[in-house]
Amino acid sequence: MTKRFFSASTAPAADPRIGGRTVLKGVRNDALETGRLRLLVTGAAFLLAFGVIAYRLVEVTAIDPEHRNRPVASAKDGKLRFDRADIVDRNGVVLATGLPTVSLYANPREIRDPEAAALSIARVLPDLNAADLKAKLAAEKGFVYLKRNLTPRQQYEINRLGVPGLNFEAGERRLYPQGPLAAHVIGMADLDGKGIAGIEKTFDGQLRQETGEPLALSIDVRVQHVLRTELAEAVQRFQAIGATGVVLDVRTGEILAMVSLPDFDPNQPSSMTPVAQFNRTTLGVYEMGSTFKLFTAAAALDAGIANTQTLYDAREPIKIASFQIRDYHPLHRHLTVEEIMIHSSNIGAARIALDLGTAGQKDFMKRIGMLKPTALELPEQGSPLYPTTWREINTMTIAYGHGLSVTPMHLAAGVATLVNGGIHRPVTLLKRPAGEAAPGARALSAKTSDQMRRLMRAVVETGTGGKAEAAGYRVGGKTGTAEKLGAGGGYARKALLSSFVGAFPIDEPRYVVLAMVDEPKGNKETFGYATGGWIAAPVVGRIVAQIGPMLGLAPVEAPGASAKAQQASLTTGERKVAAN
Amino acid sequence: MIFGREFRPTLKRGGEMTLGEKIWHIRWTLVLLLAVIASVGFLMLYSAAGGRVDPWASKQMTRFAVGVALMIGVALVDIRVWLRHAYTLYGIAFLLLIAVDIFGHIGMGAQRWINLGFIQLQPSEIMKIALVLALARYFHGASLEDIGRPLFLVPPIALVFAPAALVMRQPDLGTAILLIASGGALFFLAGVRLWKFALVIVGSLAALPVGWHFLREYQKDRILIFLDPDEDPLGAGYHITQSKIALGSGGLFGKGFLQGSQSHLNYLPEKQTDFIFTMLSEEFGMVGGLVLLGLYVLLLVYAYAIAMSCRSHFGRLLALGIASIFFLYVFINIGMVMGLLPVVGVPLPLISYGGTAMLSLLFGFGLIMGVSVHRDLYFGRRGGVDD
Repeated sequence: MTKRFFSASTAPAADPRIGGRTVLKGVRNDALETGRLRLLVTGAAFLLAFGVIAYRLVEVTAIDPEHRNRPVASAKDGKLRFDRADIVDRNGVVLATGLPTVSLYANPREIRDPEAAALSIARVLPDLNAADLKAKLAAEKGFVYLKRNLTPRQQYEINRLGVPGLNFEAGERRLYPQGPLAAHVIGMADLDGKGIAGIEKTFDGQLRQETGEPLALSIDVRVQHVLRTELAEAVQRFQAIGATGVVLDVRTGEILAMVSLPDFDPNQPSSMTPVAQFNRTTLGVYEMGSTFKLFTAAAALDAGIANTQTLYDAREPIKIASFQIRDYHPLHRHLTVEEIMIHSSNIGAARIALDLGTAGQKDFMKRIGMLKPTALELPEQGSPLYPTTWREINTMTIAYGHGLSVTPMHLAAGVATLVNGGIHRPVTLLKRPAGEAAPGARALSAKTSDQMRRLMRAVVETGTGGKAEAAGYRVGGKTGTAEKLGAGGGYARKALLSSFVGAFPIDEPRYVVLAMVDEPKGNKETFGYATGGWIAAPVVGRIVAQIGPMLGLAPVEAPGASAKAQQASLTTGERKVAAN
Repeated sequence: MIFGREFRPTLKRGGEMTLGEKIWHIRWTLVLLLAVIASVGFLMLYSAAGGRVDPWASKQMTRFAVGVALMIGVALVDIRVWLRHAYTLYGIAFLLLIAVDIFGHIGMGAQRWINLGFIQLQPSEIMKIALVLALARYFHGASLEDIGRPLFLVPPIALVFAPAALVMRQPDLGTAILLIASGGALFFLAGVRLWKFALVIVGSLAALPVGWHFLREYQKDRILIFLDPDEDPLGAGYHITQSKIALGSGGLFGKGFLQGSQSHLNYLPEKQTDFIFTMLSEEFGMVGGLVLLGLYVLLLVYAYAIAMSCRSHFGRLLALGIASIFFLYVFINIGMVMGLLPVVGVPLPLISYGGTAMLSLLFGFGLIMGVSVHRDLYFGRRGGVDD
């Protein structure tokens, strides 16, 4: 604008804007003439702008259907509509639904006598405090909530009071008919109907869509109920601080049941304490202990470096610097791979892993999904913890389940991979169409899977997992007893994580059942033992015995096995090998 | 177009009028029109308070009364006085702007007020009037030849952009835009050639990406939200979404006085200030909104008529400058609540609750009336008879 090259001597008469119309003479008059023209131009521009605004006003208020009053949804087709879709289990049992309710509010400006109104409201709704009500009703506002979610009876009583200025707001309350049964699966929606945990949070957007289609989960409430009841009983009997369990369909990756104790009642948000809210199944990462020996064996078998009868030296504890790998019940001899599983030998597992090598172990763990979070549809997801530099010592400890922490869901998914023919499938909480499995990736050969099933069966038939036997159903599995990391950084001998992971029917596995009890205390029944074999294995046995028939699996005639199971449950005096 | 021509006084150049003559020449129809618009404002503030005079309507009425007195007082002052003191007023306003930058009272995250005890002084409001005065003086009597010289335009450009930059720092994007736009309107009316505007506009467009970095986070949000209001309907887009819902729910004839549910249940934010037009449209519908627009147009036509009937360049520019500010207020505010423009804090003139805006607007209309009263005065560049 201020550049010098611009010619300053524009002759006014030559100005095209006023050229033809120059009537007045003189500089001042030219200026006046231009001014008049420009004045008209701005005036026209202003009028045009007002025209645009006026048009827009007409458009927004009278034409544009987008901004018109939308008809109420229920008036459209007469059907009830809810803000959030239902959540149902795999058989259509309602897990979460909406209940139309009314909330009581007041316009304090219309309340003439706050004190009298407060007293009469408090009579009808005794859980409200009259003094608080009076303060609310006397406030200088046009709107206060007095109480949410009134029953029809309460609404009727309030209406009968006839206090002007009280009003009802239609709303929706999220209701969980099963209470705490599947609390950690479903999670919770808050007062405003916004998912804040679990499936409610993951699928918040989908549940709010207007289709109203219920969201079908893979969960089966019957199985969920059995799992929760059995775990709760174990917690109570062994004074444990918590427990977790999973029932997983090995063919499809669907979760039939998933429990984390202690849990909460999503109908009562106050029960959602931080401890109860914590999802041990998918968010908690733990060193799993001996159940990991299954993976060690499978890796070695799959790599072809051993078969079930290959012998490993378990005569002496392995000493590395000041650290020692010991067995709880040392046999002081060479053990076959099968015996290592049956007796849960730490030394043997470490030797197998040494034979396999660090790279082989890490690769196998990766293939069965132990090194990344699971694909589960929950916001509460734990990431595995594993050594950044995977040394030989790590290889040996990981062989028996220490030094690599995963969630219980990882363990269940890993074992499912071992027994289902060797396909690693993503786990899911959503119901899949019948007979359609999630696409998986082969992690081990079908032959190895077959061998693993035999090993797991042997553990239950003759080893530490005997108490997992269920009449009529052939169970295979592995016990685990992990020492929890103590406060001082070392391992606490007395704080155990006792687990059992099983599959049934083991000859053609359909389901993996995992039970894990956190810090159980042994009692007289278990002769003071708090190991996986004594605490968790019987839980799995009882669960299998109950859910087998529910899931349509006919019991097999296996007289020997069932007799043995009977014997196992009767002979409580017998000191079985149930150490680790 | 020309109102009240029959009152045209028969004055000689530079002749002096008596006070009585001046009062006789005040356009009382204009006062009436202002009072009608302000009364619409009182009604809306009464409604915004849930059917009460307190806390807004009563104060607003007092301010309007004070403002009308001020307006008439201003109208009676000889416009040559305003011409002579235009730069002084501008200087004072500028110093106040700097002062607010240093000691300003922080209100709503923006630093805009100086607390004088009895009134919250908002220097940016004073600056709007002072800028028009200063520019009108600068261009008064300037020939087209003068205006054609680029160097001649440097001081007025500085007059516009210096306060705009200070206001921007407060941060008050709306007022900054208003200052620049009303300055631009005066440049245009003074006869600055069009290609120079094109130059400035192209230059500012080029500087836009740089300027973006100087905007506050909330200002950026508002602009992004303006481009796509559904991006964050509960967050930054809340104002505009609620405003449009309220506007649309009004329909043709509105829900009735005191019946605007969106406004009364506080869905509509800032309903007594920036979003008062939305409330009006919710309660009185499209018809109510159009009637108010019509009143505003009438007021502008009035101001234009006064400007055109004025013989002095200064008077004409002054009246047009203030009319432009008034127009911009209305356009930006209504455009904003209807989603035509981004959300910037510009009140609806004479209607939104707010003291300084009301007083400065009425002061401005006082100047317009002063121009009308003194329309036949003819004077030189410094306000003398003919120097």
